[in-house]
Parts: sequence; structure tokens; C-alpha cells
Amino acid sequence: MHELSLAQSIIEAVEARAEECGVERVRAVHLRVGEASGVLVDALQFAFEMLASLSPTLTGARLTIEITPHRAWCEPCARTFTVMDFVARCPTCGTWSTRILSGTELQILDMEVGADGEQGSQE
Amino acid sequence: MPRVTIARNILAANEEIAADVRRRLAAAGVRCINLMSGPGAGKTTLLERSVARLRGQLAVGVIEGDIETSLDAERIEAAGAQVVQINTRGACHLEAHMVRDALETLNLQRLDLLFIENIGNLVCPAAWDLGEDLRAVVVSTTEGDEKPAKYPQIFAAAQVLVLNKMDLLPYVDYDPERVCTQALAVNPGLQIFALSCRSGEGLDAWCDWLLAFTSKRSVTTARETPYIMGGAGS
Ligand SMILES: Nc1nc2c(ncn2[C@@H]2O[C@H](COP(=O)(O)OP(=O)(O)OP(=O)(O)O)[C@@H](O)[C@H]2O)c(=O)[nH]1
Ligand SMILES: [Mg+2]
Ligand SMILES: [Zn+2]
Ligand SMILES: [Zn+2]
Repeated sequence: MHELSLAQSIIEAVEARAEECGVERVRAVHLRVGEASGVLVDALQFAFEMLASLSPTLTGARLTIEITPHRAWCEPCARTFTVMDFVARCPTCGTWSTRILSGTELQILDMEVGADGEQGSQE
Repeated sequence: MPRVTIARNILAANEEIAADVRRRLAAAGVRCINLMSGPGAGKTTLLERSVARLRGQLAVGVIEGDIETSLDAERIEAAGAQVVQINTRGACHLEAHMVRDALETLNLQRLDLLFIENIGNLVCPAAWDLGEDLRAVVVSTTEGDEKPAKYPQIFAAAQVLVLNKMDLLPYVDYDPERVCTQALAVNPGLQIFALSCRSGEGLDAWCDWLLAFTSKRSVTTARETPYIMGGAGS
């Protein structure tokens, strides 16, 4: 529901970085999004495409999203485990973990850039 | 094709503003609670009752977030608190810049405790840091007892849970134990209050806790939970 405003923030951050580096064309933007961040990936893709088409720097840019699993660290067992439905309880020993390792990220990692006339890479 | 690093949280702009709000509140000695719930769980009523009971003991201010109307702000003002209305015109949650702007119209030097009533929505408000010290979620006996299991993120991101409308318990199929068990499964550290804004049951304990919270200057800050966006691993 607020994916449009997230997409807007991404575009602004990318445009600012492009200007800083003298980049004319951004071909792709790479994100890392946690599975427990509450973001609807399809809605974010859609919103990004729509807003990117309005930006001279980002027209036609792709958005790739790496999803990270929701994982936590169990101190007694000294190992990581997958958090199911936000219950960060170790399946082996039952201890509740307070160290969430991944799954809540909302990171803009980097962007692929190229001059006009170049083709975007097809991953 | 060349790559250029960005390495920035998508919500970095919100977080910078939230940090600024937090600094300004701390400098003025004001404690701040972000109050969240689904529509109609009783946030405004709880604030009205709290303001009335704490009169003479705590100077309470309220930032009222609503999609439209200033009805809730009028209720709070009538109860005797400084209040600012924010209308989001459709947006489903409050963001830090709205709170920063609202601070301009409050006299912070005159306040001890500031509540932010978030938009009635259990899905996303918890994800946005507003610069608060603490987040409280309100659920009520009329909305079903599976809310923490269905909307775990908001319960994981809060420090306090309020079960409201306990006066209606005889008339509804609602198991408070079940709600607490589910909520504690996603957040074992939650502090829980069961109360009724209608009968007044449980309000003393809640207000005593507010007094203690306001007098303490260094309780766990809300920022420490990973369940606001971009919290962990960033
Ligand atoms: N029986 C009963 N009704 C209550 C109680 N607390 C609130 N209500 C009623 O519940 C309704 C909604 O209360 P509000 O305080 O407006 O709820 P809210 O969470 O602020 O609602 P929104 O701002 O619209 O999300 C009102 O009719 C209140 O009178 C309670 O403890 N018992
Ligand atoms: Mg209200
Ligand atoms: Zn373990
Ligand atoms: Zn939202």
C-alpha cells in the first residue's frame, strides 16, 4: 500500500547518487529486501517501473530484488535458525532469540550505469 | 556494465528526520509514545481518559494522526491536552516529517509526555520510526483474538500491548490469554495492560506506569527493535 512512496524514495536516492557520480543513464538498480520487512515485492516493482519511466536518468531501468530470509542467532546452540511467522524461538532448544540476523532489510545496494546508446544487460 | 555502489537504506531520509525529532524531544525533556492499533480499538478514548486522569501530575500533549477530519483532536482538546492534528489525506501511516512539522506548533517546554496517535492500521505504521521513545499497540475485545498471529510485525516492533474494552468480554468470543500468548510469542519482552476505558478498570495501573515511564529518562529506546524498516543488517 505504501510501495509507491518506497519507490519514490528509491528513485530519489538513485538520482542523487547518479548526479554525484556524473552518471547519465541508470540501467538497473539492485535492492536487498528482507522477507519480514512487510514489502510487497510485486507492488514495489510496479511502482518503480512507473516512476522510473518519468525520470530521464532512470527510463527503462530494471529493478532487481534480492530477498533475504528471516533468520536469528541462538546463543545456547551457537547457530542460526529460520524465524517462522515472526516467532524468533530456536526450534532446537526453545530459547527466544533477541538477535535477528536478517530478514528486515530495505537496502539499496548499487546500480548499473551506462552511457546513452548502450544496451542494458539482460540478466 | 559498470556498477556504482549506493549502500543506503530506502528509508534513510525518514530515519534522519526521526533522529532529529528524537533529539529535539530529548533536549526538551519530553518522553514520546507512538500509539498504534487497528481502526476503532480505542486509541483516542484511551488518550482522553489518560489525559483526564493525569491532569495536575503530567503535562500531556497529543499529535493526532487521521486520514481525514479533526474529530479526534477535538476530543483530546476537550479533555485538556495540547493537541496538533495531522491529516494524511489517504496515506496509511504517519512518517517522521509529519511529526517534525507538528512539533512546530507544540510548546515542548510545557510538556512532559507526548503521544502520537498513529493512523488506525495494524499493517504498516510500526515500520516507520517517528522519533518516539516507545511504541504501544492497542487491541480490543471486539476485533477478534487472532490479531497478534495475523499481524505479527506490529507486535514485534512494540514494547507495550494494551487490551482494551475488557468491559465487553462477557458479550464477545474473545480469549485474552490467547492474545497474550500469541503476542508474547513474537515479542517475549512485551509489557501488557488489560483495561476498559468505559468502566475505568485497569486505568490506574496504566496511568501509574505512564508516570513511571515519564520520570525515567533512559528506558529502552524504541529504535532498538529490528522490526522497524531497515532495522537489522543495515
Ligand atoms: N465498550 C467500550 N467501548 C469503548 C472502549 N474504549 C473505546 N470504546 C469505543 O470504541 C469506539 C472507538 O474508539 P476510539 O477511541 O475512537 O478508537 P480509535 O482507535 O481512536 O479509532 P480510530 O482513530 O478511528 O482508529 C468508540 O465508540 C469508543 O467509545 C471501552 O473500553 N469499552
Ligand atoms: Mg482515534
Ligand atoms: Zn537453540
Ligand atoms: Zn503505510
